[in-house]
Amino acid sequence: MKKKVLIVICSLLIVFAFKTVTEPLFVVPTKWPKPAYDFTKNPVSVEKVELGRALFYDPILSRDSSVSCASCHSQFTAFTHVDHALSHGINDRIGNRNSPALMNLAWQNKFMWDGAVNHLDVQALAPISNHLEMDEKIENVIKKLQRNNLYKKLFKNAFGDSLATGEHTLKAISQFMLTLVSSNAKYDSVMLGKAKFTEQEKKGYVLFKKNCATCHTEPLFTNASFQNNGLPVDTTLNDIGRMGITHNPSDSLKFKVPTLRNIEFSQPYMHDGRFKKLQEVLKHYVFGVTKSKTLSPHLTKPIMLKPSEQVDIISFLLTLTDKKFLFNQRYSYPKKLFSK
Amino acid sequence: MFICLFLFVGLALAQQTKNIELKFSASFGTDAISLSDTSSFFSKKDSIEISSIRFYCSNIQFLKDGKKVWEEKSSYHLIDIANKNSSKLNLPVPKNLIYDEVKFNLGIDSLTNEMGAMGGDLDPTKGMYWAWNSGYINFKLEGKSNKCKTRNNEFQFHIGGYSLPYNALQLITLPTKYAEKINVDLDITKFLSSINLAEENHIMSPSAKALVMAQNIAKLFSVK
Repeated sequence: MKKKVLIVICSLLIVFAFKTVTEPLFVVPTKWPKPAYDFTKNPVSVEKVELGRALFYDPILSRDSSVSCASCHSQFTAFTHVDHALSHGINDRIGNRNSPALMNLAWQNKFMWDGAVNHLDVQALAPISNHLEMDEKIENVIKKLQRNNLYKKLFKNAFGDSLATGEHTLKAISQFMLTLVSSNAKYDSVMLGKAKFTEQEKKGYVLFKKNCATCHTEPLFTNASFQNNGLPVDTTLNDIGRMGITHNPSDSLKFKVPTLRNIEFSQPYMHDGRFKKLQEVLKHYVFGVTKSKTLSPHLTKPIMLKPSEQVDIISFLLTLTDKKFLFNQRYSYPKKLFSK
Repeated sequence: MFICLFLFVGLALAQQTKNIELKFSASFGTDAISLSDTSSFFSKKDSIEISSIRFYCSNIQFLKDGKKVWEEKSSYHLIDIANKNSSKLNLPVPKNLIYDEVKFNLGIDSLTNEMGAMGGDLDPTKGMYWAWNSGYINFKLEGKSNKCKTRNNEFQFHIGGYSLPYNALQLITLPTKYAEKINVDLDITKFLSSINLAEENHIMSPSAKALVMAQNIAKLFSVK
Protein backbone atom coordinates (compact mmCIF):
# COMPACT_ATOMS: atom_id res chain seq x y z
CA MET A 1 0.00 0.00 0.00
CA LYS A 2 2.71 2.42 1.03
CA LYS A 3 4.56 1.69 -2.19
CA LYS A 4 1.49 2.45 -4.24
CA VAL A 5 1.03 5.80 -2.51
CA LEU A 6 4.67 6.58 -3.15
CA ILE A 7 4.31 5.76 -6.83
CA VAL A 8 1.23 7.96 -7.11
CA ILE A 9 3.01 10.83 -5.39
CA CYS A 10 6.06 10.38 -7.59
CA SER A 11 4.04 10.34 -10.78
CA LEU A 12 2.10 13.41 -9.64
CA LEU A 13 5.38 15.18 -8.96
CA ILE A 14 6.62 14.27 -12.41
CA VAL A 15 3.40 15.56 -13.95
CA PHE A 16 3.74 18.84 -12.06
CA ALA A 17 7.39 19.11 -13.01
CA PHE A 18 6.43 18.75 -16.66
CA LYS A 19 3.61 21.19 -16.21
CA THR A 20 6.03 23.91 -15.13
CA VAL A 21 8.30 23.07 -18.05
CA THR A 22 5.48 23.24 -20.58
CA GLU A 23 4.12 26.53 -19.26
CA PRO A 24 7.00 28.97 -19.09
CA LEU A 25 6.45 32.12 -17.05
CA PHE A 26 7.42 34.42 -19.87
CA VAL A 27 7.78 33.86 -23.59
CA VAL A 28 8.14 36.29 -26.47
CA PRO A 29 5.17 35.53 -28.74
CA THR A 30 5.90 34.59 -32.36
CA LYS A 31 6.99 37.54 -34.50
CA TRP A 32 6.96 39.96 -31.60
CA PRO A 33 9.87 42.35 -31.06
CA LYS A 34 12.55 41.86 -28.43
CA PRO A 35 11.37 42.99 -24.97
CA ALA A 36 12.70 46.27 -23.63
CA TYR A 37 13.05 44.81 -20.14
CA ASP A 38 16.51 43.46 -19.29
CA PHE A 39 15.73 40.01 -17.88
CA THR A 40 19.40 39.32 -17.11
CA LYS A 41 19.17 41.81 -14.22
CA ASN A 42 16.03 40.18 -12.83
CA PRO A 43 15.73 36.59 -14.07
CA VAL A 44 12.17 35.30 -13.79
CA SER A 45 11.47 32.48 -11.34
CA VAL A 46 8.31 30.79 -10.09
CA GLU A 47 9.00 31.91 -6.52
CA LYS A 48 9.64 35.54 -7.42
CA VAL A 49 6.51 35.71 -9.54
CA GLU A 50 4.54 34.19 -6.65
CA LEU A 51 5.88 36.84 -4.29
CA GLY A 52 5.12 39.56 -6.81
CA ARG A 53 1.60 38.27 -7.28
CA ALA A 54 1.01 38.29 -3.51
CA LEU A 55 2.28 41.88 -3.29
CA PHE A 56 0.13 42.93 -6.24
CA TYR A 57 -3.03 41.71 -4.51
CA ASP A 58 -2.12 42.73 -0.95
CA PRO A 59 -3.45 46.03 0.50
CA ILE A 60 -0.45 45.97 2.87
CA LEU A 61 1.18 48.28 0.31
CA SER A 62 -1.20 51.13 1.21
CA ARG A 63 -0.96 53.29 4.32
CA ASP A 64 -4.12 51.97 5.97
CA SER A 65 -4.03 48.53 4.34
CA SER A 66 -7.21 49.25 2.40
CA VAL A 67 -6.10 49.43 -1.21
CA SER A 68 -3.98 47.07 -3.30
CA CYS A 69 -2.59 47.36 -6.83
CA ALA A 70 -5.48 45.17 -7.93
CA SER A 71 -8.02 47.67 -6.54
CA CYS A 72 -7.43 49.81 -9.61
CA HIS A 73 -6.01 47.06 -11.84
CA SER A 74 -8.50 44.24 -11.92
CA GLN A 75 -7.76 41.25 -14.11
CA PHE A 76 -11.22 40.86 -15.66
CA THR A 77 -10.98 44.33 -17.13
CA ALA A 78 -7.46 43.95 -18.49
CA PHE A 79 -5.98 45.17 -15.21
CA THR A 80 -7.61 48.57 -15.19
CA HIS A 81 -10.38 50.16 -13.12
CA VAL A 82 -13.53 49.82 -15.13
CA ASP A 83 -16.30 52.42 -14.74
CA HIS A 84 -13.96 54.80 -12.94
CA ALA A 85 -12.72 57.70 -15.00
CA LEU A 86 -10.10 58.61 -12.40
CA SER A 87 -8.33 56.11 -10.18
CA HIS A 88 -9.16 55.81 -6.51
CA GLY A 89 -6.99 55.76 -3.42
CA ILE A 90 -7.25 55.25 0.32
CA ASN A 91 -10.11 57.00 2.18
CA ASP A 92 -12.02 57.23 -1.12
CA ARG A 93 -9.58 59.81 -2.43
CA ILE A 94 -9.87 60.35 -6.16
CA GLY A 95 -6.76 60.68 -8.28
CA ASN A 96 -6.28 62.74 -11.41
CA ARG A 97 -5.80 60.13 -14.11
CA ASN A 98 -7.44 57.00 -15.46
CA SER A 99 -5.60 53.89 -14.29
CA PRO A 100 -3.93 52.29 -17.30
CA ALA A 101 -4.58 48.70 -18.37
CA LEU A 102 -1.61 46.45 -17.57
CA MET A 103 -0.29 44.04 -20.17
CA ASN A 104 2.79 43.43 -22.29
CA LEU A 105 4.78 45.69 -19.99
CA ALA A 106 8.04 43.95 -20.84
CA TRP A 107 7.96 45.86 -24.14
CA GLN A 108 7.69 49.29 -22.57
CA ASN A 109 10.41 51.72 -21.54
CA LYS A 110 8.35 54.52 -20.07
CA PHE A 111 5.39 54.12 -17.75
CA MET A 112 2.40 56.21 -16.69
CA TRP A 113 0.42 58.49 -19.01
CA ASP A 114 3.18 61.10 -18.91
CA GLY A 115 6.15 58.69 -18.96
CA ALA A 116 7.19 59.83 -15.48
CA VAL A 117 8.53 56.39 -14.59
CA ASN A 118 11.63 55.21 -16.42
CA HIS A 119 11.70 51.48 -15.60
CA LEU A 120 9.16 48.81 -14.73
CA ASP A 121 11.00 48.06 -11.46
CA VAL A 122 10.40 51.52 -10.05
CA GLN A 123 6.84 51.86 -11.36
CA ALA A 124 5.17 50.63 -8.18
CA LEU A 125 6.84 53.39 -6.16
CA ALA A 126 4.60 55.97 -7.81
CA PRO A 127 1.15 54.67 -6.76
CA ILE A 128 2.51 53.59 -3.36
CA SER A 129 3.72 57.09 -2.51
CA ASN A 130 1.02 59.11 -4.29
CA HIS A 131 -1.08 60.97 -1.71
CA LEU A 132 -4.25 60.26 -3.71
CA GLU A 133 -3.51 56.57 -4.14
CA MET A 134 -1.80 54.39 -1.51
CA ASP A 135 -0.24 57.33 0.36
CA GLU A 136 2.45 55.18 1.96
CA LYS A 137 6.21 55.43 2.23
CA ILE A 138 8.15 52.58 0.67
CA GLU A 139 10.27 52.52 3.85
CA ASN A 140 7.12 51.68 5.85
CA VAL A 141 5.99 49.08 3.35
CA ILE A 142 9.33 47.31 3.78
CA LYS A 143 9.01 47.45 7.58
CA LYS A 144 5.53 45.91 7.40
CA LEU A 145 6.75 43.17 5.08
CA GLN A 146 9.73 42.42 7.33
CA ARG A 147 7.38 41.81 10.27
CA ASN A 148 4.97 39.61 8.31
CA ASN A 149 5.42 35.84 8.55
CA LEU A 150 3.93 35.05 5.14
CA TYR A 151 6.30 37.50 3.48
CA LYS A 152 9.29 36.26 5.47
CA LYS A 153 8.64 32.89 3.87
CA LEU A 154 7.94 34.24 0.40
CA PHE A 155 11.05 36.43 0.39
CA LYS A 156 13.13 33.50 1.60
CA ASN A 157 11.77 31.33 -1.22
CA ALA A 158 12.26 34.00 -3.83
CA PHE A 159 15.56 35.60 -2.90
CA GLY A 160 17.11 33.26 -0.32
CA ASP A 161 16.77 35.97 2.32
CA SER A 162 13.67 36.38 4.46
CA LEU A 163 14.40 40.06 5.08
CA ALA A 164 12.46 42.20 2.62
CA THR A 165 14.34 45.03 0.91
CA GLY A 166 13.16 47.75 -1.42
CA GLU A 167 15.10 46.21 -4.30
CA HIS A 168 13.66 42.72 -3.81
CA THR A 169 10.11 43.97 -3.26
CA LEU A 170 10.14 46.02 -6.43
CA LYS A 171 11.81 43.34 -8.51
CA ALA A 172 9.22 40.79 -7.40
CA ILE A 173 6.33 43.08 -8.34
CA SER A 174 8.04 43.57 -11.71
CA GLN A 175 8.24 39.82 -12.19
CA PHE A 176 4.51 39.38 -11.76
CA MET A 177 3.78 42.28 -14.10
CA LEU A 178 6.20 40.90 -16.69
CA THR A 179 4.19 37.68 -16.86
CA LEU A 180 1.06 39.62 -17.88
CA VAL A 181 1.40 38.93 -21.58
CA SER A 182 -1.68 39.18 -23.77
CA SER A 183 -1.08 37.55 -27.14
CA ASN A 184 -3.98 35.15 -27.58
CA ALA A 185 -6.69 37.29 -29.09
CA LYS A 186 -8.59 36.33 -32.23
CA TYR A 187 -6.37 38.84 -34.03
CA ASP A 188 -3.31 36.78 -33.06
CA SER A 189 -4.88 33.54 -34.29
CA VAL A 190 -5.69 35.23 -37.60
CA MET A 191 -2.11 36.45 -37.93
CA LEU A 192 -0.85 32.93 -37.28
CA GLY A 193 -3.24 31.57 -39.92
CA LYS A 194 -5.28 29.67 -37.35
CA ALA A 195 -8.50 31.68 -37.70
CA LYS A 196 -10.21 34.04 -40.11
CA PHE A 197 -11.65 37.51 -39.72
CA THR A 198 -15.31 38.01 -40.63
CA GLU A 199 -15.93 40.31 -43.61
CA GLN A 200 -16.66 43.21 -41.28
CA GLU A 201 -13.57 42.59 -39.16
CA LYS A 202 -11.48 42.44 -42.32
CA LYS A 203 -12.84 45.78 -43.51
CA GLY A 204 -12.21 47.19 -40.07
CA TYR A 205 -8.62 45.92 -40.09
CA VAL A 206 -7.91 47.61 -43.43
CA LEU A 207 -9.37 50.90 -42.16
CA PHE A 208 -7.48 50.52 -38.90
CA LYS A 209 -4.16 50.06 -40.68
CA LYS A 210 -4.84 53.14 -42.79
CA ASN A 211 -6.04 55.45 -40.03
CA CYS A 212 -4.86 54.28 -36.63
CA ALA A 213 -1.84 52.00 -36.92
CA THR A 214 0.83 54.73 -37.12
CA CYS A 215 0.48 55.18 -33.36
CA HIS A 216 -1.33 51.96 -32.43
CA THR A 217 1.30 49.82 -34.12
CA GLU A 218 0.99 46.04 -34.34
CA PRO A 219 1.59 43.69 -32.66
CA LEU A 220 1.60 45.68 -29.39
CA PHE A 221 -0.95 48.20 -30.69
CA THR A 222 1.11 51.07 -29.40
CA ASN A 223 4.30 52.66 -30.65
CA ALA A 224 5.05 53.76 -27.08
CA SER A 225 5.27 57.41 -28.14
CA PHE A 226 3.70 60.47 -26.53
CA GLN A 227 1.07 62.24 -28.59
CA ASN A 228 -1.44 65.02 -28.30
CA ASN A 229 -4.52 63.40 -29.80
CA GLY A 230 -6.55 66.58 -29.89
CA LEU A 231 -8.66 66.17 -26.78
CA PRO A 232 -10.02 69.53 -25.62
CA VAL A 233 -8.43 70.38 -22.25
CA ASP A 234 -10.58 69.42 -19.28
CA THR A 235 -10.43 72.62 -17.25
CA THR A 236 -11.30 70.79 -14.03
CA LEU A 237 -7.98 68.96 -14.33
CA ASN A 238 -5.77 71.13 -16.59
CA ASP A 239 -3.48 68.19 -17.15
CA ILE A 240 -0.50 69.19 -19.32
CA GLY A 241 0.70 65.58 -19.66
CA ARG A 242 4.30 64.86 -20.65
CA MET A 243 5.32 68.51 -20.28
CA GLY A 244 4.88 68.16 -16.53
CA ILE A 245 7.86 65.80 -16.60
CA THR A 246 10.11 67.26 -19.30
CA HIS A 247 9.21 70.97 -18.80
CA ASN A 248 9.42 71.15 -22.57
CA PRO A 249 6.55 73.20 -24.09
CA SER A 250 6.63 70.97 -27.17
CA ASP A 251 5.42 68.13 -24.91
CA SER A 252 2.35 70.02 -23.75
CA LEU A 253 -0.86 67.92 -23.72
CA LYS A 254 0.98 64.81 -24.86
CA PHE A 255 0.12 61.46 -23.30
CA LYS A 256 1.40 57.97 -23.87
CA VAL A 257 -0.27 56.04 -26.67
CA PRO A 258 -2.05 53.18 -24.89
CA THR A 259 -2.27 49.64 -26.23
CA LEU A 260 -5.62 48.70 -27.77
CA ARG A 261 -5.43 45.07 -26.75
CA ASN A 262 -8.45 44.04 -24.65
CA ILE A 263 -9.95 47.47 -25.32
CA GLU A 264 -13.43 45.91 -25.21
CA PHE A 265 -13.06 45.50 -21.44
CA SER A 266 -10.85 48.41 -20.43
CA GLN A 267 -13.29 51.31 -20.53
CA PRO A 268 -13.37 54.19 -19.80
CA TYR A 269 -10.91 55.54 -22.34
CA MET A 270 -8.30 58.32 -22.50
CA HIS A 271 -5.98 59.61 -19.74
CA ASP A 272 -8.90 61.15 -17.89
CA GLY A 273 -11.40 58.41 -18.70
CA ARG A 274 -13.70 60.86 -20.47
CA PHE A 275 -15.13 58.33 -22.96
CA LYS A 276 -17.18 55.38 -21.81
CA LYS A 277 -17.76 53.78 -25.18
CA LEU A 278 -15.61 52.95 -28.17
CA GLN A 279 -18.16 54.77 -30.37
CA GLU A 280 -17.30 57.98 -28.52
CA VAL A 281 -13.60 57.40 -29.13
CA LEU A 282 -14.15 56.92 -32.86
CA LYS A 283 -16.35 60.02 -32.97
CA HIS A 284 -13.62 62.02 -31.29
CA TYR A 285 -11.13 61.13 -34.01
CA VAL A 286 -13.60 61.92 -36.78
CA PHE A 287 -15.26 65.07 -35.44
CA GLY A 288 -13.67 66.14 -32.17
CA VAL A 289 -9.94 66.67 -32.75
CA THR A 290 -9.00 70.10 -31.38
CA LYS A 291 -6.17 71.90 -33.12
CA SER A 292 -3.23 73.14 -31.05
CA LYS A 293 0.52 73.69 -31.44
CA THR A 294 1.44 70.25 -30.20
CA LEU A 295 -1.29 68.27 -31.99
CA SER A 296 0.02 64.97 -33.33
CA PRO A 297 1.15 65.45 -36.96
CA HIS A 298 -0.85 62.32 -37.76
CA LEU A 299 -4.09 64.06 -36.79
CA THR A 300 -3.71 67.41 -38.53
CA LYS A 301 -5.69 66.13 -41.51
CA PRO A 302 -9.16 65.00 -40.46
CA ILE A 303 -9.80 61.27 -40.32
CA MET A 304 -12.74 60.66 -42.61
CA LEU A 305 -14.77 57.66 -41.52
CA LYS A 306 -18.40 57.02 -42.35
CA PRO A 307 -20.55 55.76 -39.47
CA SER A 308 -20.53 52.27 -41.00
CA GLU A 309 -16.74 52.38 -41.25
CA GLN A 310 -16.49 53.35 -37.59
CA VAL A 311 -18.55 50.27 -36.77
CA ASP A 312 -16.19 48.17 -38.91
CA ILE A 313 -13.18 49.45 -36.98
CA ILE A 314 -14.88 48.66 -33.69
CA SER A 315 -15.63 45.14 -34.87
CA PHE A 316 -11.92 44.76 -35.63
CA LEU A 317 -10.99 46.17 -32.21
CA LEU A 318 -13.11 43.50 -30.57
CA THR A 319 -10.83 40.87 -32.12
CA LEU A 320 -8.13 42.18 -29.76
CA THR A 321 -9.96 40.68 -26.79
CA ASP A 322 -7.88 37.92 -25.19
CA LYS A 323 -10.11 35.79 -22.98
CA LYS A 324 -7.23 33.51 -22.04
CA PHE A 325 -5.49 36.55 -20.60
CA LEU A 326 -8.55 37.95 -18.85
CA PHE A 327 -9.31 34.67 -17.12
CA ASN A 328 -5.84 33.15 -16.72
CA GLN A 329 -5.75 31.79 -13.16
CA ARG A 330 -2.04 32.43 -12.92
CA TYR A 331 -2.85 36.13 -12.78
CA SER A 332 -5.77 35.97 -10.37
CA TYR A 333 -6.06 36.65 -6.64
CA PRO A 334 -3.77 34.13 -4.87
CA LYS A 335 -6.49 32.75 -2.61
CA LYS A 336 -4.50 29.75 -1.43
CA LEU A 337 -1.53 31.83 -0.43
CA PHE A 338 -3.54 34.29 1.63
CA SER A 339 -5.74 31.67 3.31
CA LYS A 340 -2.77 29.81 4.78
CA MET B 1 28.12 40.93 -5.91
CA PHE B 2 29.79 39.49 -2.83
CA ILE B 3 31.87 37.14 -4.94
CA CYS B 4 33.08 40.13 -6.94
CA LEU B 5 33.91 41.90 -3.71
CA PHE B 6 35.87 38.92 -2.42
CA LEU B 7 37.72 38.58 -5.70
CA PHE B 8 38.46 42.27 -5.67
CA VAL B 9 39.68 42.19 -2.09
CA GLY B 10 41.66 39.04 -2.86
CA LEU B 11 43.36 40.61 -5.83
CA ALA B 12 43.98 43.75 -3.88
CA LEU B 13 45.69 41.79 -1.09
CA ALA B 14 47.84 40.00 -3.62
CA GLN B 15 49.00 43.35 -4.93
CA GLN B 16 49.76 44.61 -1.43
CA THR B 17 47.19 47.21 -0.76
CA LYS B 18 46.54 49.76 1.87
CA ASN B 19 43.42 51.61 2.81
CA ILE B 20 42.98 55.25 2.17
CA GLU B 21 40.26 56.77 4.27
CA LEU B 22 38.13 59.24 2.38
CA LYS B 23 36.09 61.16 4.90
CA PHE B 24 33.35 63.65 4.20
CA SER B 25 32.44 66.43 6.57
CA ALA B 26 30.32 69.53 6.50
CA SER B 27 31.04 72.92 7.98
CA PHE B 28 29.58 76.31 8.40
CA GLY B 29 32.65 78.50 8.01
CA THR B 30 34.92 77.56 10.87
CA ASP B 31 32.27 75.52 12.69
CA ALA B 32 31.90 71.83 11.96
CA ILE B 33 28.36 70.59 11.38
CA SER B 34 27.94 67.33 13.22
CA LEU B 35 24.19 66.62 12.92
CA SER B 36 24.80 63.77 15.35
CA ASP B 37 22.34 65.52 17.64
CA THR B 38 18.96 66.34 16.25
CA SER B 39 20.18 69.54 14.64
CA SER B 40 22.70 72.35 14.77
CA PHE B 41 22.13 76.03 15.17
CA PHE B 42 24.13 78.88 13.78
CA SER B 43 23.45 82.56 13.95
CA LYS B 44 24.90 85.48 12.14
CA LYS B 45 22.40 87.89 10.66
CA ASP B 46 19.70 85.32 11.01
CA SER B 47 19.50 81.96 12.64
CA ILE B 48 19.95 78.89 10.51
CA GLU B 49 19.38 75.33 11.51
CA ILE B 50 20.62 72.46 9.40
CA SER B 51 18.77 69.20 9.89
CA SER B 52 19.99 67.03 7.04
CA ILE B 53 22.84 66.86 4.54
CA ARG B 54 22.87 63.74 2.40
CA PHE B 55 24.37 63.09 -0.99
CA TYR B 56 25.65 60.43 -3.35
CA CYS B 57 29.36 60.14 -3.99
CA SER B 58 30.05 57.82 -6.92
CA ASN B 59 32.84 56.71 -9.25
CA ILE B 60 35.74 57.63 -6.98
CA GLN B 61 39.09 58.01 -8.74
CA PHE B 62 42.63 59.08 -7.94
CA LEU B 63 44.54 61.06 -10.55
CA LYS B 64 48.19 61.84 -11.11
CA ASP B 65 49.05 64.69 -13.49
CA GLY B 66 45.47 64.62 -14.71
CA LYS B 67 45.52 60.90 -15.54
CA LYS B 68 43.48 58.27 -13.77
CA VAL B 69 45.68 55.97 -11.67
CA TRP B 70 42.96 54.21 -9.64
CA GLU B 71 39.20 53.93 -9.55
CA GLU B 72 36.66 52.17 -7.41
CA LYS B 73 34.53 50.08 -9.77
CA SER B 74 30.75 50.47 -9.51
CA SER B 75 31.04 52.63 -6.45
CA TYR B 76 27.94 54.31 -5.17
CA HIS B 77 28.01 55.71 -1.67
CA LEU B 78 25.25 57.49 0.14
CA ILE B 79 26.95 59.99 2.43
CA ASP B 80 24.86 61.11 5.38
CA ILE B 81 26.63 63.75 7.45
CA ALA B 82 24.49 62.71 10.44
CA ASN B 83 25.91 59.20 10.22
CA LYS B 84 29.67 59.06 10.80
CA ASN B 85 29.97 55.52 9.47
CA SER B 86 28.44 56.44 6.15
CA SER B 87 30.70 59.45 5.69
CA LYS B 88 33.95 57.49 6.01
CA LEU B 89 34.95 55.38 3.01
CA ASN B 90 37.84 52.96 3.03
CA LEU B 91 39.43 52.68 -0.37
CA PRO B 92 41.81 49.75 -0.90
CA VAL B 93 44.52 51.10 -3.22
CA PRO B 94 47.89 49.62 -4.25
CA LYS B 95 50.57 50.39 -1.68
CA ASN B 96 52.73 52.38 -4.05
CA LEU B 97 49.94 54.51 -5.50
CA ILE B 98 50.94 58.10 -6.16
CA TYR B 99 48.30 60.68 -6.85
CA ASP B 100 47.72 64.39 -6.64
CA GLU B 101 43.97 64.64 -7.12
CA VAL B 102 40.85 62.88 -5.95
CA LYS B 103 37.86 62.84 -8.25
CA PHE B 104 34.26 61.74 -7.74
CA ASN B 105 30.77 62.29 -9.05
CA LEU B 106 28.34 64.19 -6.90
CA GLY B 107 25.22 62.17 -7.68
CA ILE B 108 24.22 59.20 -9.81
CA ASP B 109 25.01 58.91 -13.52
CA SER B 110 22.20 58.76 -16.08
CA LEU B 111 22.85 55.14 -17.04
CA THR B 112 22.42 53.94 -13.45
CA ASN B 113 19.31 56.10 -13.12
CA GLU B 114 17.62 53.96 -15.77
CA MET B 115 18.65 50.56 -14.44
CA GLY B 116 15.53 49.79 -12.38
CA ALA B 117 15.52 48.68 -8.76
CA MET B 118 18.89 48.31 -7.07
CA GLY B 119 20.10 47.42 -3.61
CA GLY B 120 22.55 48.70 -1.00
CA ASP B 121 22.98 52.47 -0.93
CA LEU B 122 20.96 52.65 -4.16
CA ASP B 123 17.88 50.98 -2.66
CA PRO B 124 14.91 53.29 -3.24
CA THR B 125 14.04 52.98 0.46
CA LYS B 126 16.99 55.23 1.35
CA GLY B 127 14.91 58.35 0.89
CA MET B 128 17.00 59.50 -2.07
CA TYR B 129 14.68 58.48 -4.89
CA TRP B 130 11.87 60.31 -6.60
CA ALA B 131 8.90 58.00 -7.01
CA TRP B 132 6.67 60.26 -9.12
CA ASN B 133 9.38 61.21 -11.60
CA SER B 134 11.91 58.40 -11.62
CA GLY B 135 15.43 59.29 -10.62
CA TYR B 136 17.84 59.63 -7.77
CA ILE B 137 18.15 62.72 -5.63
CA ASN B 138 21.85 63.56 -5.88
CA PHE B 139 21.99 65.97 -2.97
CA LYS B 140 19.69 66.85 -0.11
CA LEU B 141 19.97 69.83 2.20
CA GLU B 142 17.21 70.54 4.67
CA GLY B 143 16.84 72.93 7.54
CA LYS B 144 15.19 76.06 8.89
CA SER B 145 15.80 79.76 8.57
CA ASN B 146 14.00 82.82 9.92
CA LYS B 147 14.05 84.16 6.40
CA CYS B 148 11.81 81.40 5.11
CA LYS B 149 8.19 82.36 5.34
CA THR B 150 7.26 78.72 4.94
CA ARG B 151 5.66 76.23 7.28
CA ASN B 152 7.96 75.99 10.34
CA ASN B 153 10.41 78.24 8.44
CA GLU B 154 11.68 75.17 6.64
CA PHE B 155 13.80 75.00 3.52
CA GLN B 156 14.30 71.88 1.46
CA PHE B 157 16.66 71.46 -1.43
CA HIS B 158 16.42 68.11 -3.16
CA ILE B 159 18.75 68.36 -6.11
CA GLY B 160 18.72 65.78 -8.87
CA GLY B 161 17.76 65.08 -12.46
CA TYR B 162 19.66 62.89 -14.90
CA SER B 163 18.29 63.66 -18.33
CA LEU B 164 19.21 66.58 -20.53
CA PRO B 165 18.89 69.51 -20.38
CA TYR B 166 18.68 69.14 -16.59
CA ASN B 167 21.36 66.58 -15.83
CA ALA B 168 22.45 67.69 -12.38
CA LEU B 169 25.36 65.24 -11.98
CA GLN B 170 28.54 67.09 -11.01
CA LEU B 171 32.12 65.90 -11.50
CA ILE B 172 34.31 67.10 -8.67
CA THR B 173 38.10 67.07 -8.90
CA LEU B 174 40.07 68.23 -5.88
CA PRO B 175 43.83 68.62 -5.47
CA THR B 176 45.10 66.64 -2.52
CA LYS B 177 48.40 65.83 -0.95
CA TYR B 178 49.37 62.24 -0.59
CA ALA B 179 47.86 61.09 2.72
CA GLU B 180 46.34 58.05 4.42
CA LYS B 181 43.33 60.13 5.34
CA ILE B 182 41.68 62.59 3.05
CA ASN B 183 39.05 64.87 4.48
CA VAL B 184 36.69 66.37 1.94
CA ASP B 185 34.71 69.18 3.46
CA LEU B 186 31.51 70.79 2.28
CA ASP B 187 31.27 74.38 3.44
CA ILE B 188 27.70 75.52 3.17
CA THR B 189 28.38 79.15 4.10
CA LYS B 190 28.89 80.12 0.49
CA PHE B 191 25.84 78.20 -0.60
CA LEU B 192 23.56 79.93 1.87
CA SER B 193 25.00 83.32 1.03
CA SER B 194 24.55 82.68 -2.69
CA ILE B 195 20.79 82.34 -2.44
CA ASN B 196 18.04 84.41 -0.98
CA LEU B 197 16.24 81.99 1.30
CA ALA B 198 13.30 84.35 1.61
CA GLU B 199 12.49 83.73 -2.05
CA GLU B 200 14.12 80.43 -2.83
CA ASN B 201 13.48 77.83 -0.19
CA HIS B 202 12.50 74.63 -1.87
CA ILE B 203 13.54 72.71 -4.94
CA MET B 204 12.22 69.19 -5.30
CA SER B 205 12.38 68.30 -8.98
CA PRO B 206 14.77 68.43 -11.92
CA SER B 207 14.81 71.92 -13.43
CA ALA B 208 17.05 74.73 -14.67
CA LYS B 209 17.15 76.09 -11.11
CA ALA B 210 18.16 72.70 -9.72
CA LEU B 211 20.94 72.51 -12.29
CA VAL B 212 22.37 75.91 -11.30
CA MET B 213 22.14 74.91 -7.66
CA ALA B 214 23.95 71.64 -8.33
CA GLN B 215 26.76 73.58 -10.00
CA ASN B 216 26.99 75.91 -6.99
CA ILE B 217 27.01 73.02 -4.55
CA ALA B 218 29.86 71.34 -6.44
CA LYS B 219 32.02 74.40 -5.76
CA LEU B 220 31.66 74.04 -2.00
CA PHE B 221 33.78 70.91 -1.71
CA SER B 222 37.46 71.15 -0.79
CA VAL B 223 40.15 68.96 0.73
CA LYS B 224 40.86 70.15 4.23
